[in-house]
Amino acid sequence: MGKFWAVFFSASAVLAVALCWVAKDYNWWFPYNQEAVSTIGRQIDDLFHLILVIVSVTFIGVNIALGYVLWTGAEAATNGQKKALFTHGSHALEVIWTIVPSGILLFIALYQMDVWAQFRFKSQAPRKLDIIAEVTARQFEWRIRYPARGKKLMPTPQPDDIYTVNDLRVPSGLPVGISLRTDDVQHSFFVPEFRIKQDAVPKLVIPIWFEVTKPGDYDLVCAELCGWGHYKMKARVKATSETEFEKWRSEAASEQFFDGVSPEAAETEEVAQQSDQ
Amino acid sequence: MSTISPSVDHASHGDHDHAAHGHHEIGFVKKYIFSTDHKIIGIQFLITTLLMLMVGGALALGVRWQLAGPWKYMPILGDAVFSAQGGQISPEAYTMLVTMHATVMIFLVIIPILAGAFGNFLIPLQIGADDMAFPTLNMLSYWFMWPAILLFAMSGGILDPLIPFESLRVGGVNAGTAQGWTSYPLLSALAQAAPGARMAQTYWLLGLTFVGVSSMMGSVNYMTTIINMRAPGMTLFRMPLTIWSMFITAILQAFALPVLTAAGFMLVADRTLGTCFFIPSGVVVNNADPTVGGGQPLLWQHLFWFYSHPAVYIMLLPAMGMVSDMLACMCRKPIFGYKPMVYSMAAIAGLGFIVWGHHMFISGMNPALGMSFMLSTMMIALPSAIKTFNWIGTLWGGRLLFNTVMLNSVAFVSMFVIGGLSGIFMAAVPVDIYIHDTYFIVAHFHYVLFGATLFGVFGAITFWFPKMFGRMMNEPLGQIHFVLTFIAFNCTFFPMHLLGVAGFPRRYADPYHFPYLEHLLPLNQFITGAAILMGVSQILLLANFFGSMFFGPKCGRNPWNANGLEWTAPSPPGHGNFDIPPVCYHGPYEYSSPLSGDKDFLPQTEYVPLPQRKALGDAGHH
Amino acid sequence: MQLNPEIRTGKPRRKLRPLIGLGLLCAVLGCGEGPPAEFSWRPSTTDMIPAAKKAVQEVMKESFGTPQQLVAWERMPVDFGGVRGDVAAIQTPGEFTLGLADPALASRVKSGMPIVWLTGPQAESKGTQTAKVESFDPKSLLLVSTGGEAAVGDKLLVGYGSQLQLGRVVYMKNCTHCHGVAGDGMGPTANYLNPRPRDFRLGIIKFTSTLSAERAARDDIHRIITNGIPGTYMPSFLLMAPEEKLAAVEYVRWLAMRGEMEKRLGDELADYNEVSLKSDIGKQEEAYQAAVKAGEKPEKPMGLPKALATSAASFKAYQEEDFPTIIDETADFLAETWQKADDPASLVTPQQSRVADSLESRQRGRRLYMSDRTKCYTCHGPLGRGDGGAVDDFWPKPGTTEKYAQRGLHDLWGNKLQPRDLTKGQYRGGRRPLDLYRRMFAGIKGTPMPAFGGTVLKDEEIWDLVNYVMSIPFESRTPSKPPTAAMASMPPESKVDH
Repeated sequence: MGKFWAVFFSASAVLAVALCWVAKDYNWWFPYNQEAVSTIGRQIDDLFHLILVIVSVTFIGVNIALGYVLWTGAEAATNGQKKALFTHGSHALEVIWTIVPSGILLFIALYQMDVWAQFRFKSQAPRKLDIIAEVTARQFEWRIRYPARGKKLMPTPQPDDIYTVNDLRVPSGLPVGISLRTDDVQHSFFVPEFRIKQDAVPKLVIPIWFEVTKPGDYDLVCAELCGWGHYKMKARVKATSETEFEKWRSEAASEQFFDGVSPEAAETEEVAQQSDQ
Repeated sequence: MSTISPSVDHASHGDHDHAAHGHHEIGFVKKYIFSTDHKIIGIQFLITTLLMLMVGGALALGVRWQLAGPWKYMPILGDAVFSAQGGQISPEAYTMLVTMHATVMIFLVIIPILAGAFGNFLIPLQIGADDMAFPTLNMLSYWFMWPAILLFAMSGGILDPLIPFESLRVGGVNAGTAQGWTSYPLLSALAQAAPGARMAQTYWLLGLTFVGVSSMMGSVNYMTTIINMRAPGMTLFRMPLTIWSMFITAILQAFALPVLTAAGFMLVADRTLGTCFFIPSGVVVNNADPTVGGGQPLLWQHLFWFYSHPAVYIMLLPAMGMVSDMLACMCRKPIFGYKPMVYSMAAIAGLGFIVWGHHMFISGMNPALGMSFMLSTMMIALPSAIKTFNWIGTLWGGRLLFNTVMLNSVAFVSMFVIGGLSGIFMAAVPVDIYIHDTYFIVAHFHYVLFGATLFGVFGAITFWFPKMFGRMMNEPLGQIHFVLTFIAFNCTFFPMHLLGVAGFPRRYADPYHFPYLEHLLPLNQFITGAAILMGVSQILLLANFFGSMFFGPKCGRNPWNANGLEWTAPSPPGHGNFDIPPVCYHGPYEYSSPLSGDKDFLPQTEYVPLPQRKALGDAGHH
Repeated sequence: MQLNPEIRTGKPRRKLRPLIGLGLLCAVLGCGEGPPAEFSWRPSTTDMIPAAKKAVQEVMKESFGTPQQLVAWERMPVDFGGVRGDVAAIQTPGEFTLGLADPALASRVKSGMPIVWLTGPQAESKGTQTAKVESFDPKSLLLVSTGGEAAVGDKLLVGYGSQLQLGRVVYMKNCTHCHGVAGDGMGPTANYLNPRPRDFRLGIIKFTSTLSAERAARDDIHRIITNGIPGTYMPSFLLMAPEEKLAAVEYVRWLAMRGEMEKRLGDELADYNEVSLKSDIGKQEEAYQAAVKAGEKPEKPMGLPKALATSAASFKAYQEEDFPTIIDETADFLAETWQKADDPASLVTPQQSRVADSLESRQRGRRLYMSDRTKCYTCHGPLGRGDGGAVDDFWPKPGTTEKYAQRGLHDLWGNKLQPRDLTKGQYRGGRRPLDLYRRMFAGIKGTPMPAFGGTVLKDEEIWDLVNYVMSIPFESRTPSKPPTAAMASMPPESKVDH
């Protein structure tokens, strides 16, 4: 009976590994075609896979050991042995299995530092970074403000800013930044296919950068419980070429300043400076 | 450090007391309800938490039902509250289910069952004391759980009909507390931010306070008892690992809980007194007046996680200790590396105080903190790994008895490996960027909390049930319960790792309307089916527990042939625990010792004369 | 999702048989467990005497159905989906060419859709769908059905009601918990939202592109669903599938029509209100008692039971004679008004393009804002902060002399309304100049925001106001210089205030 249990526990480990092995075929793995669509996402994926390898080797090794000791232990219980092996431990083993895991853990720790630094430290992020939009999360949607063509994004709204809801447009192929803020409670800006995520905190404006490698439509998802509509904050990130992005921006501007009659009545005139402007 | 009083005097003193108590009549209420006897209190905790386990499980099944078919008719809740909508629950009711499931499981099940039930029952027995240092405080620590249960139930919105004043009512299940068990402001601080952020959230915070006070009382009691009331000969390094784990857990509670209690009070003050510890200025929610402000939402997160990270070790260490005891007993072998085990537990606890920021990598805190917390988090994997290897070392060369106790203990080790290894992904900050707030995290903590701790608890219930009630639990039923739970558990939670990699977010009432998640419905339905199986299997546990309490086969003092001091007391022990005051001569894990003669265990109270020991070459040192 | 269309002939109302159109029963929700969702009833309905209540509820049920069994009453101008056509020519038994009034609708016919025969040999099996579309060629209009004979000229409905069903599913999933099953704005979440979700049953939607007397156009509802309403909990469903959005639009319109029908029938039958009858009788009793005490010999009033019986008898007569006509007229009225909403003539379109957004235009706009013609400042405040004097007054309820209990402005649904704070730059109905033009031209339906277009203000004046309003968020709060001497000497009504 004991040996059955040894097999039982080993089988569960085997099934776990098998499930992970076939996961990709059923698309139970990274979204869509499994490849991250941003540069930092690729690095995150590489790191993930490295850890996966280390963890898998460890898991398999530990479970082989576990299965072995269970099996031999089951045998020992049935072969007439009166007593078990009487030992209180092994100093040598303790040292080995302290030093080796610490080494591996330290390696992982140090290896991944520069990916994090690139994402969040100004000194490591790309120098030439264009903040193209301010993304404001609110209950329960994403309101996005772009500066007018040729202008820089200002911290406060400008008369010629362009607004969208649930539709973040970015140019692909170059590092772009957004300023993330929230109108009410905490939300979190999560684009699974870019592998990026950042919480939006009330009263903070947090810059996020990414470089999209492939044009396309990507899901934008809220990742911090923000109320009953947490699941409803469905938005998209549409990455296009830079020229298409600018073209869209011009179209959006004319739509936004549409007066119902003439499509060209778009641009607001530069109004002469006055004390109350 | 240890206080070993002269054995003879101590014993007679104790006897005298017992004799005195023997004449003193205490009524039924004082004996069984407001008892100050640690054993009764322990059993009270155990029964209460087992019932709370069912409540928490039912809430989880509500969550799983919604995820298996969003907006379909939900039994019970749909009928009771949402019949006008055709039994379709509202999104805020879903977030209430998620919140209350976590709240009940963490505060009303896992922490009380480990510290309250087993800590209470085992500590005096295993160290040879006649009761806890502060029996009345002990009794209070149990009875403070009931206001907490009541307040949590009120915060869920189900007790509204019983609340006399309109202004104190929550507003039904729809307005039940729904801000997550993490209760982050501003969602939890501003009443306008969510239906559940009104009266319900205040009740929840008050319930949390009562739970905290209950735990504090327990922790003070345990530390004092373990330091001061050990039997003669019971040095610190002759204590069973269960006691070490309870001791270290008590220290964790003592240092971490005040921070949570303070944070809770600050949040209650923000909500009711107009303070703004966590509320910044000028925030407009639900078109209410702008907030006055001056506070920081991130402060709550720091304070909360400063407690809640040690809390997860509070929810793990006692089970680790108990599993060590059980494994040693069922393998008929000493624990492999007793001192490293002790030091590892201490390291886990110590490091546990400096890793809280790993819950907050993405929170908007200074990214430089991400690096420091990442390092400490990586390091905390180390003592856990050492313990795992030591458990395997314990199994190695053993003569394994595969009974319910053993199976659950091996499951502890096996599931803990999975849970621990998945933690490494999260410790790597860039990877955590992706998997934070996805089901990968959910899989991880269910593996360590359920897969490890709860299986350990199932084993511990079976192991110490004979001591508690003088009867054995049914072995075949225990094994069937184990198999079903183990299979169902893995089928429920392992696929969640995959869901997490696929980016499946937490706390979503309906994830499938996102294109990248549409295809994950079948897997979720499978998980729900497994979860239902798991829930139903617990009926076997309850049947076994309550049935064996009355109809189980009677047993003697030491049915498992174990070494600990508790097995020298009668089953169940009477008032004062030991009829023969125990003296401890060696460590608790001298199984298969050459000194024990023909039998393969050597109780701690069994004295082996010096010549015998010398003859066997001092093989039984310790 | 099962589709069980059934020919609804209903209770033959003798006078109306030719007028009542066809309804179709659509069963929704395959998994039939759980309590049935219910349409809520207005107090005006539930407070009626039993006979009247029953009559109204029956009419509503026959005309609109229940959430489980929707009735696609073709008299209502709702696009229920599917097509109605006839047999143009028979190829072989089971195959025929479909004759359509509008050939463009051919694209709606898909295989698998149910067929309901209105006339012909298969029309006898009323209550069940008799066949399905096996295949359909949109070019040749050849339809292969799964069975049954047909003759040339037989009328049939294909997939009729499918869009309403889809709308119902989309609505229950996304909208019910705020807007309620019946669109009454009383879903479970509604109590916690400020402003409250819209109650569609008045047939009024605030932010429209139509003239002030018209209903909302389909486009308006579509735009609100797509863009959301900023500053409220109405989210943007930008990424909802287009067909789901269209279906939701139709379903919302259908709910609005249903609600309006119930309301109008309630208004018509106000005489049969049991609650007011009881309170009248109560008053009569009190007056009688008082008179007796005073020593007079008044006539004993009718007791409650007699009053109820009289009312019931009166209603019975009414039901036979007048009620059917009322139903008819109401249906006609609804059909006409909702149809008209989508008429291009109802659309508010500026006659001239926007006046250039210059300082002068804004100053003119400012003067108009502060003028007595528009009185914008009385609600929106002199600085545009929504703190005008009107928020402190007690206003009368529309159509009565009774005043609201609270100070300030109210909307038609009885909610207290704060005039918009224009300094925030938050425009609930859309931020395009066109949208602001429409708000000013046609007002905001159901609120005290009046319509200035065509009467009070000319087009260029509205554009000036639009330019001014759009500049308000960017005005600096603190004046950096005192008004110039030149401005100080201008006549009062044209002075630009700070």
